[in-house]
Amino acid sequence: MRNPLADVTVPVLDDLIDDDYVRSLVVGVGGILGLLGVLGLLFPGSVAGDLAGIVFSTSTAASTSRLAAPIVLAGLGGIFAEKSGVINIGLEGLLIISAFMSVYIASVVGIGNAVLGIPAIWIGFLSGIAASTVLAGVFGVVCIEFKADQIIAGLAVWLIALGLAPFMSTVFFGGVNTPNLGASVGWRYSAVMVAVATLASWWALNHTAFGKHLEASGENPKALDTVGVSVSRVRYAGVLLSGVLSGVGGSALALSIGQFVGSGETMVQGKGFIAIVAYLFGNYNPLGTLGAGVLFAGLDATQIRLQQLGYAVPDTLVQTIPYVVVIVVLALVGRTRLPAAAGDHYETEE
Amino acid sequence: MNPAVHLDGITKRFPGVVANDDVDLEIARGSVHALLGENGAGKTTLMNVLYGLYQPTEGTVVVDGEPRSFASPRDAIDAGIGMIHQHFMLVDPMTVWENVVLGNEPRTWGGLRVDEAAAREAVVELSERYGFDVDPDARIADASVGVQQRVEILKALYRGADVLIMDEPTAVLTPQEVEELYDVFEELTDQGKTIIFISHKLGEALSAADEITVLRDGVNVGTVASADVTREDLARMMVGREVLMEPATTPREPGDRVLEVTDLHVEDDRGVEAVSGVSFELREGEVLGIAGVDGNGQLQLAEAVTGMREPSSGSIVYLGESMAGASRREHIDRGMAFVPEDRHERGLVMSYDLIQNGILGSQHDPPFASGGRIDWEASADHAESVIEAYDVRPPNPDASAESFSGGNQQKFIVGREFERDPTLVVATHPTRGVDIGSTEFLHDRLLELRAEGKAVLLISSKLDEVQGLSDRLAVIHEGEFSGVVDPATVTEEEIGLLMAGETLDGEGVSGAAIHDAVGDGLGEGSSDDTDGTRGTGSDRETTADEGVDA
Repeated sequence: MRNPLADVTVPVLDDLIDDDYVRSLVVGVGGILGLLGVLGLLFPGSVAGDLAGIVFSTSTAASTSRLAAPIVLAGLGGIFAEKSGVINIGLEGLLIISAFMSVYIASVVGIGNAVLGIPAIWIGFLSGIAASTVLAGVFGVVCIEFKADQIIAGLAVWLIALGLAPFMSTVFFGGVNTPNLGASVGWRYSAVMVAVATLASWWALNHTAFGKHLEASGENPKALDTVGVSVSRVRYAGVLLSGVLSGVGGSALALSIGQFVGSGETMVQGKGFIAIVAYLFGNYNPLGTLGAGVLFAGLDATQIRLQQLGYAVPDTLVQTIPYVVVIVVLALVGRTRLPAAAGDHYETEE
Repeated sequence: MNPAVHLDGITKRFPGVVANDDVDLEIARGSVHALLGENGAGKTTLMNVLYGLYQPTEGTVVVDGEPRSFASPRDAIDAGIGMIHQHFMLVDPMTVWENVVLGNEPRTWGGLRVDEAAAREAVVELSERYGFDVDPDARIADASVGVQQRVEILKALYRGADVLIMDEPTAVLTPQEVEELYDVFEELTDQGKTIIFISHKLGEALSAADEITVLRDGVNVGTVASADVTREDLARMMVGREVLMEPATTPREPGDRVLEVTDLHVEDDRGVEAVSGVSFELREGEVLGIAGVDGNGQLQLAEAVTGMREPSSGSIVYLGESMAGASRREHIDRGMAFVPEDRHERGLVMSYDLIQNGILGSQHDPPFASGGRIDWEASADHAESVIEAYDVRPPNPDASAESFSGGNQQKFIVGREFERDPTLVVATHPTRGVDIGSTEFLHDRLLELRAEGKAVLLISSKLDEVQGLSDRLAVIHEGEFSGVVDPATVTEEEIGLLMAGETLDGEGVSGAAIHDAVGDGLGEGSSDDTDGTRGTGSDRETTADEGVDA
């Protein structure tokens, strides 16, 4: 299928993104937003006007940022893991464990207190990252050292976190939901973290030796091994980075409201899986992942605001959009290509 | 001057096997040295010892006069030794320069950033110094096999290699690319590099190497200057006895039409068209050879003919009936034998013993099956007879297929298929990985089938094999026959051009009878001219010189 958007040229963007598909994704989303803005300005009272008012409001920006942070950050983490050859479908579990641990540790330290001059809420934030990284490390050992099936191990990570977080919450707080800390991390912090992580990831993948090694590890690990770079080390690095980035996402999600909600599928609500969708949609490009994550989160945020304005938008339908999109993208556009050795174990000879 | 490499009494033992037995080898600086031997002679093991992949059980590796002990390839690379493996170690989606510098990237910004400009420049500089015509920004996935090989050489040179070990470097190349590789050898040795290449092809050792060392059963049989030996001498050294260099073919007497393929189109697993409009016919007592570089649609063609892959269009008529939609079992039942390309995937069930493997495809038929049960006694007798007739070693029908060496597995598969009493044999790479002695036997057996009036579709990347055994030779390139020629008169250069997709116009070609794939050359009257040339003595001799490798 010929992609008409691939031919659209945008000066700065063309230099930044050499992938036609990702560029057209960004151009497409930008175009729709632009059109909505113009329509909103021209017809203030119409549905388009309402919609534009919502989409371009600060509150929507805030909730989009809040909802997008875990998706984009876990998605970036997923890129690092999968590029190295380890498919990490446990991102959801990493988000859950970091969301809980960030709130738990912050409450243990106590809001108002500080450790080493760091306020409790940020100690919580760092603890969330640490918890997620440790869990990712366990996943890495199981997959890389013990050569477990990555999909099964990833599911285990999710199920462990899904059971463990509400359980610990019940043990420590007497209910699956923690009490509210009474403090939070503002949405602007999340937005900055997402922006910095996206650009740093993009740069690391494209311009550092580590980025090249990561790609080689996922495409042809033997080629990397024969030039004297340890495939295991590169893969551990990729998996641990998925833990770190997911940890940032999970902590940001929970601390943006100051509470961990552990009922049902927990407050993470499948964002880890949507993160996988986002990086596949973005074709393993951090900028594309950002675009996809913001798009999905934006739809969700807009839907919530529309409900509040009295439009009857079925929320469950909006939430299926990412999954429908990924099937369409994978099946029809067919531009997303898994690393050749993703999912395969690698063993050095002799 | 010290030799570039001196292997001193190298012995390498694996549990139960001596792969190298007290091998002494000196390789002069600036020379091209061929390491010749049959499969399993210990060539690759010896080079893996030199490259630090294996540690020798006994003996010393001396590089440039200094005894060395390599714990890993890293150490060997540091000592200036580079190895280019048979299967390229390249990352497909990355560019040429990214692959060359992988693992040794020049850095800037305090080691943080890959210095892309410096890396490209280094690659361009190396590429120019050795006369390689390589675009540093090309993606490996888009590069030809010949270019990929040069990228591998650049990788070794970039790491400071003075001695380049190449494992079967010509296996994947067209004859033209082989010529270019020889030019590269010359350029490299002119600038003081030393090349050791592993081969089992006599012709290429003779034409490319200054010195040739022959290994047999892990022992160095002798090192000779290539100028002083003949093909026959080398063959004798490799096998340890006289080898008949040319299979004896007799003029064919083609009978009834067995197979007629018309405008066949077949897609590969990815949905890309692999066979694009191939037509041919095949008669009783005839061998049609298909030559081509691997991956030009031969595999899909064989799969379509044998019912393993549904063609997207075109017709296959076998014994007067269309085979469209016929199951694999119907193909077998109607007398089609198939020697598949991949013996592990399709030829054998690796965990089965040879008795079980021996009846694969015949498991429904008497005498192996009666009343829904398998007669294991009859099966065992059958396996034993194949093992004996085809010299499968060790002769143990109860051993699992995976416990046999590749060559012996291959002999067993070929035996099973040939003994099926087929009407049509589709054989892809029937002698791949098989040693010279057994290859000779399999060739004779194939010609016996032909004499018995069987039709044979022979697909092989070994030119000498398809040329020596076929009555007609089709050359396939990107899914199309670039020409159908008389194997008795065509030269290796001409086949090479066809393999590269060029066409031969009748004017410029000496002596080769060119037939259009679908034209009258394949029709009723075709037997006359091919028969006419096949018997003539002078033409036969030119092919014997140029065509035979092993």
